[in-house]
Amino acid sequence: MARSVRRRRRGGIAAFILRRLLLGGVVLVLVSVVVFVATQALGDPARAILGRDATPERLAALRAQLGLNSSVFTQYVDWVGGLLRGSLGNSLAAQQPVSELLGSRLVNSLVLVSCAAVVSIPLSIAVGSWAALRRDRLFDSMSMTLMLVLAAVPEFVVALLLVIALATTVLHVFPAISPVPPGQRPWDHPTVLVLPTAALVMGVAPYVARIMRASMIEVLESDFVEMARLKGLPERLVLLRHALPNALGPVFQVIAISLAYLAGGVVVVEYVFNYPGIGSALQDAVVNHDVPVVQALAMLIAAVYVVLNLLADVATILVTPRLRTRL
Amino acid sequence: MTNDIEKIAGAAQRGLWANSAPSRRGLLIGAGGLGAAAVLASCGGGSAPSSSASTSATGTPKRGGNFRLGVTGGGSKDMFDGQNVGTTPDGARLLSAFETLLTFDDDFRLASDGLAESVEADNPTQYTIRLRRGVEFQDGKSMTADDVIYSLRRVATDVSLRGNSAAASMDIAGIKKMDAHTVRLPLKEPDSTLKEKLAAYYFSIVPEGYKKFSGDPSTQIGTGPYRLKSFTPGRESVSERNPNYWREGQPYFDSVTISNFSDTTAQVNALIGGQIDAMTDVPAAQITAVKARGKNTLVSETGWWIGLSMAVDMAPFDDSRVREAFRLMVDRQAMLEQAVSGYGALGNDLYGRYDVGYFSDLPQRKQDLDKARSLLKAAGHESLSVDLYTTNATGGMVEMATVLAKQAKDAGVTVNVRNLPSDTYYGDDYTKRAFCMDYWAARPYLQQVQQGSLASSPYNVTHWPPTSGKGAAFQSLYEKALATTDDDQRIEIEHQMQQLEYDLGGWIIPFFPSNIDGYAANVQGLTPAKTTFGLADFGHGFRTIWFA
Repeated sequence: MARSVRRRRRGGIAAFILRRLLLGGVVLVLVSVVVFVATQALGDPARAILGRDATPERLAALRAQLGLNSSVFTQYVDWVGGLLRGSLGNSLAAQQPVSELLGSRLVNSLVLVSCAAVVSIPLSIAVGSWAALRRDRLFDSMSMTLMLVLAAVPEFVVALLLVIALATTVLHVFPAISPVPPGQRPWDHPTVLVLPTAALVMGVAPYVARIMRASMIEVLESDFVEMARLKGLPERLVLLRHALPNALGPVFQVIAISLAYLAGGVVVVEYVFNYPGIGSALQDAVVNHDVPVVQALAMLIAAVYVVLNLLADVATILVTPRLRTRL
Repeated sequence: MTNDIEKIAGAAQRGLWANSAPSRRGLLIGAGGLGAAAVLASCGGGSAPSSSASTSATGTPKRGGNFRLGVTGGGSKDMFDGQNVGTTPDGARLLSAFETLLTFDDDFRLASDGLAESVEADNPTQYTIRLRRGVEFQDGKSMTADDVIYSLRRVATDVSLRGNSAAASMDIAGIKKMDAHTVRLPLKEPDSTLKEKLAAYYFSIVPEGYKKFSGDPSTQIGTGPYRLKSFTPGRESVSERNPNYWREGQPYFDSVTISNFSDTTAQVNALIGGQIDAMTDVPAAQITAVKARGKNTLVSETGWWIGLSMAVDMAPFDDSRVREAFRLMVDRQAMLEQAVSGYGALGNDLYGRYDVGYFSDLPQRKQDLDKARSLLKAAGHESLSVDLYTTNATGGMVEMATVLAKQAKDAGVTVNVRNLPSDTYYGDDYTKRAFCMDYWAARPYLQQVQQGSLASSPYNVTHWPPTSGKGAAFQSLYEKALATTDDDQRIEIEHQMQQLEYDLGGWIIPFFPSNIDGYAANVQGLTPAKTTFGLADFGHGFRTIWFA
């Protein structure tokens, strides 16, 4: 009886994903309310845009032009209505559609974050695993000390040190800043991606590597690994088939959080390298109290969190036999 | 009016501080913001030794190359308009493509080497503009009286344009085309500052029917040395040499790329790394590093200023003895060194530094704590405590307030520094504070008076002039100066006005900060200049500089 109820409720990984997507939708609706309320607290965009030039006539003209005179509730309904129709509204400062303003920047940031992920995830898993296998030996203590140091140093310091070492002062190997001219894509100028990617990798890898090491150590000491070893399986097989998948479970969660962090934390690195991504757009929008742009970016980052968490859960389930079979 | 650019972007920068907690991220952005403010500051107004635009050459100018300029202070609100700017990069872009009837030379004196051969007063309320012949717009159309009339009319009728209030004295309805190259401009009231106005970038000449940029660069046609090819607000613009340009031989670059930077550190790195050829505003702390990496700096004395404002009708500053005491509390040299690392020149509580009418004969005020104390005692304020409102709108502003508080302590006065976010500072209470700070670009004396020192001024923080006493004569002196077209007589009146402000006014102007710009060693033709914008008006619209 109980068994059949559970079967009806679950229904495999597809149903699980669907349920999580619906939940994610609910989360995003709640976030939209919070974002809207929070952005109202930014203050009057017309005053922010005009600054000291804000004579009463110019303020009134700009407010009317930007549609700031309607009630907060009407503004929210308009905004959500626009979102549902796929329109993010118009930027108050640039007076052009938000999608146009953010489109190429989004691609740029995505490319940067992807590069960082592609480099940092395998690297940190490898370093973490190797450190676990060489526990308390030279590689372990050196790599973990280095990771601790990197974790403690802010990204922008890392970024500036990279610039000093490789672009301006010691060596002149890479460009000091990473401009991507409008209309072009980052991959047209691959060298500009090197330093920002390196800075992001150094920002994220330590956390993943340390979790990977801890997780691996735990798994290596578990009964089933001992069992596998006692069965006489080759060490290679023990590690790759039995230890690694089980150790990866918790690491996926950390990777998801790290990537989600990258989506927001890329701001700092973009700033140092003058990289035209969403980071500088967000900063600019906050400065100008450009509510539609801030809202669009906040929603985007929230959606990234939701999706990455979902992916991490799915991945965890897929690599963990215990969880996989329960679905 | 560049001060307005500074103000906007400064406000923006301040807003950022307000919105980010001092986390590590906040720290970084804050640092960048400071840089931005400094750049803005630097567009205030250049200054320096005398050398005119074209004689600054070292060697023979050479053609070719793409000149890359990095500018902070811009953002998504960047615009491209032949008669308007909102941010610093807007100023650089405007100067590359548009020109004015008259110009200011590198000493900030009026010159007739613009689009007009001459602008003469027929009488105090009527001027005749004679246009230079043979000037063509970038699309080959000749510049004529119709374009000038359209340009002036556009400024006077569009309230969103920066020059709009300055056009108030012009009788735009009565403007008349005498022939293809002559325009008669009647005034509603005498305005001896008219020629100075016509030399300001916000009265640049645009072709008849001109509209601001809204997506299509080919609509942006000026008479200037470079024609716009592409423009993405907040990112970058590319302009190409105008082969039709009317000044012989100029300009020299094939193209000019102007890139926005959000952070001064990135800007300095780009200069050192060779990714840009010049940058506006190098932070004083970075000058040594920039030079050590083989780059040059251009330090220009300027006429822009940051002032401490004492409202002449609010306690305790409604007593002129208190204002005098505060002016005597300030150690100007120490403040200059502590607030802007010594890059600047001492001030004497007067603005309009490079105006021919600047009253430089007045004795330099020095710190005199004994006299300050006795004045305060006489006024009955022996243990005075006041709030000083400030905001981080431009580099040095908050630092000045802090230094003043320290110096005031020596005179027994407690100054509480209230550092507000910019949008609060420039909000509804902006002109209603007894003791606060503000900053202005270099501009001719009478124009500055009109902007900030009359009852009718839009930004009058000192509430000058007083309604009674000696100072009350200020308004009528101003009107008399506007109606006086004879230079010597007008200067005499301006001196009387400055004497009143020196004795009784509401400003403490301790120093004039310098502009510090950076450029690569192969960039030729840059010399310090008292121009409105930094980097010698961006190499005079990028036309007097070249690559070695």
